[in-house]
Amino acid sequence: MDFKLSEKEKTLIAEIAKFAKKELPEDFVGTHLIDQEYRDFEFEISMSKKLAQNGWLVMSWPKEYGGQGASLTEQTVYEMEISYWGIPGAWMGISGTQWVGPCLMMFGTEEQKNKYLPLIASGERDGVWCTGYSEPNAGSDLANLQTRAVRDGDYYIINGQKVWTSKAQHSRWCWLLVRTDSTVAKKHRGLSLFIVDMKSPGVTVNPILNYYGRHHFNEVFFDNVRVPASNLVGEENRGWYHLMQALAFERRSVAPLAYGSSKRLLENLVKYVKETQRQGESLSQIPAIRHKLAEMAIDVEIVKLFAYQFTWRVSQGAIPAYESSRNKIMGDDVLRRMAISGAEILGVYSQVDPDSKWARLKGTIQGAYLGFPGAMIAAGTAEVERSIIAQFRLGLPKSY
Amino acid sequence: MDFSFTEEQEMLRTMARDFLANECPKSKVRELDKDEKGYDPQMWRNMAELGWMGLVFPEEYGGTGASFVDLVALMEEMGRNIVPGPFFSTIALCALAILEFGTNEQKAKFLPQIAKGETIWTLASMEQTGSYETSEINLSARPDGDDYVLEGEKIFVSDAHVANYILVVARTGKGKAPQARITVFIVDAKSPALRIEIIPTMAGDRQFQVIFNKAKVSKNDILGAAGGGWEVVNFILQRAAVLKCAEISGACQAVLDMTSAYAKERVQFDRPIGSFQAVQQKLADMLIDIEAIQYLVYQAACGISEGEPSQLQISVAKAKASQAYEKICIDGITAHGAIGFTFDHDIGLYFRRVKAAEFAAGDVDLHRGKIAAELGL
Repeated sequence: MDFKLSEKEKTLIAEIAKFAKKELPEDFVGTHLIDQEYRDFEFEISMSKKLAQNGWLVMSWPKEYGGQGASLTEQTVYEMEISYWGIPGAWMGISGTQWVGPCLMMFGTEEQKNKYLPLIASGERDGVWCTGYSEPNAGSDLANLQTRAVRDGDYYIINGQKVWTSKAQHSRWCWLLVRTDSTVAKKHRGLSLFIVDMKSPGVTVNPILNYYGRHHFNEVFFDNVRVPASNLVGEENRGWYHLMQALAFERRSVAPLAYGSSKRLLENLVKYVKETQRQGESLSQIPAIRHKLAEMAIDVEIVKLFAYQFTWRVSQGAIPAYESSRNKIMGDDVLRRMAISGAEILGVYSQVDPDSKWARLKGTIQGAYLGFPGAMIAAGTAEVERSIIAQFRLGLPKSY
Repeated sequence: MDFSFTEEQEMLRTMARDFLANECPKSKVRELDKDEKGYDPQMWRNMAELGWMGLVFPEEYGGTGASFVDLVALMEEMGRNIVPGPFFSTIALCALAILEFGTNEQKAKFLPQIAKGETIWTLASMEQTGSYETSEINLSARPDGDDYVLEGEKIFVSDAHVANYILVVARTGKGKAPQARITVFIVDAKSPALRIEIIPTMAGDRQFQVIFNKAKVSKNDILGAAGGGWEVVNFILQRAAVLKCAEISGACQAVLDMTSAYAKERVQFDRPIGSFQAVQQKLADMLIDIEAIQYLVYQAACGISEGEPSQLQISVAKAKASQAYEKICIDGITAHGAIGFTFDHDIGLYFRRVKAAEFAAGDVDLHRGKIAAELGL
């Protein structure tokens, strides 16, 4: 057992802090200020480029693909700090650095790796990806998807619809899961993964506004879209299995992100209650408030340890199964409890929009409060994640 | 970062698990629940022979020089089997402090006895208000020549009836700060000046009121510095909190194991109840809580092992473990249905110990308070 960070990891933390103070506008609050993050994509991608120039954007990738060959623990520390400072632009859309890159390294052809990995690593607009998994009738039951790809000589012709596609409006590429065989008895057996150029004729992106009016996700239509056969990733009809193996990558960053932002929120709240008086008494002296902040600190410690434990498992060569679900549940719960308790602490001011003079903590609590239900659904609902733990870790029978 | 036990630690865990499965099945726990002593002297001797009492003592005191993390690994196994007896009182509450604060004479005299399983110890700190706060320590120790005279009473002193020695937290005067003038004494538990009365509790453990009626203690039997007792008490509470968390961690694991086994075999509506999502959610949450406790405990224990205890890490571990133990038992019982509410089912043995585990080394509110202080509030 050893819970200490190495000198190298500590140096990284200090360097990112320096970077954040230098590169972010003075009053920038990225943490949970969903507003700023999604309204100003130009700023976001300019930060991607700077992260790339510092060698951080894909630091754990091999050097030949634009990475630094850094350890997964360093990568995890980087993600924690990115999230702590709220530095935008780290994901190259919503998928590029997170799972498209690692998946291509596992299943991609040499041609695919040489073409797409350096693009992601560059931090340029042409390296931005979205992910096309969910469909109107394929949410938790993802294998039920109906978008089809049919072989036509050196091409596949794709028809169908995706939905909840985050950042499709900014993406140059789509990481797309489609059906290539409808005749199989088990529906997850006929699926394949494709790389689709979002500029292809027949691709239409329509915005879907979320309940606070922001444009984060979209519906994407594919109308006879021709995709070169060389854009198939891995084996035809093995897409589901590639995806399952790749899940570890997809969810590894969940806990580091939750840790970074929740640690920052907690620090901000501690500062706020120390500086704020009510009826002549500092909020920091009110037992109910101390109690809430102590509970937050417990959550923050747990999500930190889950993040490191997961990373440790992966770096031991294990392919984590239930741990990704555990971390997803914990990460979501931390933010949920923090948003709710934080709003209770701010009281009436928690409802104020970030730009208003009445806003406290620059509206970050409002951002967290509005954002957490969405986070709890993205990449697997809490209900499904718990069933995964029950089935794959505790060996209980299938519930569906 | 490294989240794994060493090979030696894995061996210790396996050995402990095998030993306790044989020597301390639930029938033994139930038998000892009713036993006057509350522990099995033969099992106690066997544990000593395995080197458990002296695990962290240096060899010169009859120990094996193992680390605090090793002790945590062992106590996790003891918690899994809810082993009744004065191990926690003797080792967690007293022996570690003797090793840290004892004079050479005290260590040479007391530690080998403990390692051999010959003496049982306990700590008497809490008084009528039921608090661990220093301001609540009123039992007085009045200097009288080369002696002190102790007068007052302590409550919730575990295993006092079988103890040979009691560490008594006393007030040797009133200072400006409440922690000033606190002194810890080593007191002969068999002294006629002590009166011991049982406080019956739901765990069926052995907790006592101990009344000190002008008990004479030599000044040579002070542990640590005279007037510097709060340092000793704080040292004890930090380590005892982590060791109690280790017990809780094991206990929670046992509750999850029995509940998930039951969920697989119990059939209703023609399906195992473990196939129902509502039952799965509970069990998944238990697992998440248990892993949280484990890593929090290991993290806090490593800090102690490396000589850098973190009060934040310790208090976070104890607050979380206490809360989760309660929740896991309740969810485990309700997942079992009526059978979980019966005397014959083992899950109740765990639930009846929840509160005692919480109160040991500070309840949830006390540790929330410490966390708040560590946050700078």
